[in-house]
Amino acid sequence: MDSKATLGSIQKAVWDGRLPLQITLAPSESRTYDQTDPYLIACPRISYLPSLLPRLRAFFASSLIDPNSRPHEGWFSFEGVPLKWHYPVGLLYDLYAGADPASKGGRDTDLASTTDGDPLPWCLTVHFSDWPDGELVRLDPDGIVLHDAFINSVKEADFLRNGTAKGIMTLSKEDSSGLWEAVRDVDLLSFQRISNILIPPPSQPFRNVPIRLFLPLPPDSGSPSLKVVQSPIPPIIPPSSASIAASQSILSTRGPQLQTIGSALHSLLPHLFPSRRTPVLAKPVLHGAAVPMSAPVEEVARCSGYGDGWVYIVIRMMG
Amino acid sequence: MAPSPSSQPTLSVVPLLTAEEFETACHAFLDRVHVAGDTKVGWSWIRLDQRATGPILSISREVGHVSTLHTSSDESMPDPEMNQVLQWGASEEDPEALIRAPGPSVSLQVVYDVLLSPTYQVPVLYFQLRQDSYPGPLGIDAVYQYLVPDQYRKELQSVGIMGGISFGYHPDSGTPAFFVHPCHTMDAMRHIAGQRRLTPEAYLIIWLGLVGNRLGLQLPKELFTKEGMEIFQGTM
Repeated sequence: MDSKATLGSIQKAVWDGRLPLQITLAPSESRTYDQTDPYLIACPRISYLPSLLPRLRAFFASSLIDPNSRPHEGWFSFEGVPLKWHYPVGLLYDLYAGADPASKGGRDTDLASTTDGDPLPWCLTVHFSDWPDGELVRLDPDGIVLHDAFINSVKEADFLRNGTAKGIMTLSKEDSSGLWEAVRDVDLLSFQRISNILIPPPSQPFRNVPIRLFLPLPPDSGSPSLKVVQSPIPPIIPPSSASIAASQSILSTRGPQLQTIGSALHSLLPHLFPSRRTPVLAKPVLHGAAVPMSAPVEEVARCSGYGDGWVYIVIRMMG
Repeated sequence: MAPSPSSQPTLSVVPLLTAEEFETACHAFLDRVHVAGDTKVGWSWIRLDQRATGPILSISREVGHVSTLHTSSDESMPDPEMNQVLQWGASEEDPEALIRAPGPSVSLQVVYDVLLSPTYQVPVLYFQLRQDSYPGPLGIDAVYQYLVPDQYRKELQSVGIMGGISFGYHPDSGTPAFFVHPCHTMDAMRHIAGQRRLTPEAYLIIWLGLVGNRLGLQLPKELFTKEGMEIFQGTM
């Protein structure tokens, strides 16, 4: 099969991915307390929660005790935890919902099945007052803060790929805002047109691959913080570490080794990933699925990055 | 040749800092502050914390007592359009509450955290401006009014989507914080450093002069008055 077509089809599947959400108005803000009908939606995984706010504000308008609240004053929580809106919905679900990742063949016998109920639809609460200032960055009526956060993230990914900030700087102003609009509106064709300008062609390897790893925290840690691990990950294993690997593997004598998800995890989190090939203690989850350890990191970034170009992998403990 | 500050080696890859160089720089700077005398420097505290995300050089100072948190269209906000854009930051919900509730005088404190960006490999400045008893950090209008010196306001407001100051999450605590986006730092440092051989500490001091100054983090002259405190090595 043409590998380009495969990358394209994976990207399409990622952009088509949707999560069923059941969103309830915070009882304390509702005229009918907890009797308000929930809002149901199949929400694109790569989108951001604030894009739902205008619809939710309109849907709950007749139930709100405070009729003066505005859409951008809305924020979401899951089981009492305020959700950081600058992370895509799919990542938030992978982080917090505790659902088992889908895996090849659909068998996942090593993980306990859903004893405490089906995690879907994902049940969230929306609030239009009492913004948690200590935990969430406030939004503004014009969406500037959200746009800025997205572009900052795009810039970082661009810098890692190129080693300079030139890529994003060469985008026209229209394309730069177009990129955000394409992600906001989940418009893959527009996104591809602009990201083809931004992302180096396959013939030109990335300098580093924009990957962030999210580690589980104990559920009762009470910390708003997530443990995030990031380090420059080159798509080819650099010679110095490859030569160490050479003493262990005869394969590396054949030339430069491709960095895989497994080799990257092993180098960043050796205790959680003692093997480069097999998940032993933990597994990497991306877009709700277990990522193959053998997948080359650059290919993963090219076809399965989020809209900002990042690969956000959630580390899920096994057993 | 002037005596070099300790015997730090010079940077390996200007204008970037490795994790080791950043840590060396922080230690040397901390020593410099202690030698000058912590009380003379005028900060509430300075410390180096070792966190999972790496070392954090943390400096706090009192902004002082301000009579109100009012951000009306006076001379501090030269551009009415910009003023409008900036007003949502602090207390969109009810600005009046924030302005009047604290009474005639409130105390403001700012905490600056200097971290090494794992992406850009340059220092990045996070900061939170707080008012006693208010849970979250104050908004961008208060930042421009109380931290950013007049001469830098226009320059900072004119770049990017919401200006040179972004609102995001502190990488270690995960709480809302402002930061100066580091994407221009490399070019600026390369330009300033020129052909000089820099020690990690000299790099940090130049960077603090560049970025810190714009956010009200001035380096007191006491840090540079003692012998042997020159920041450049050798002839310039």
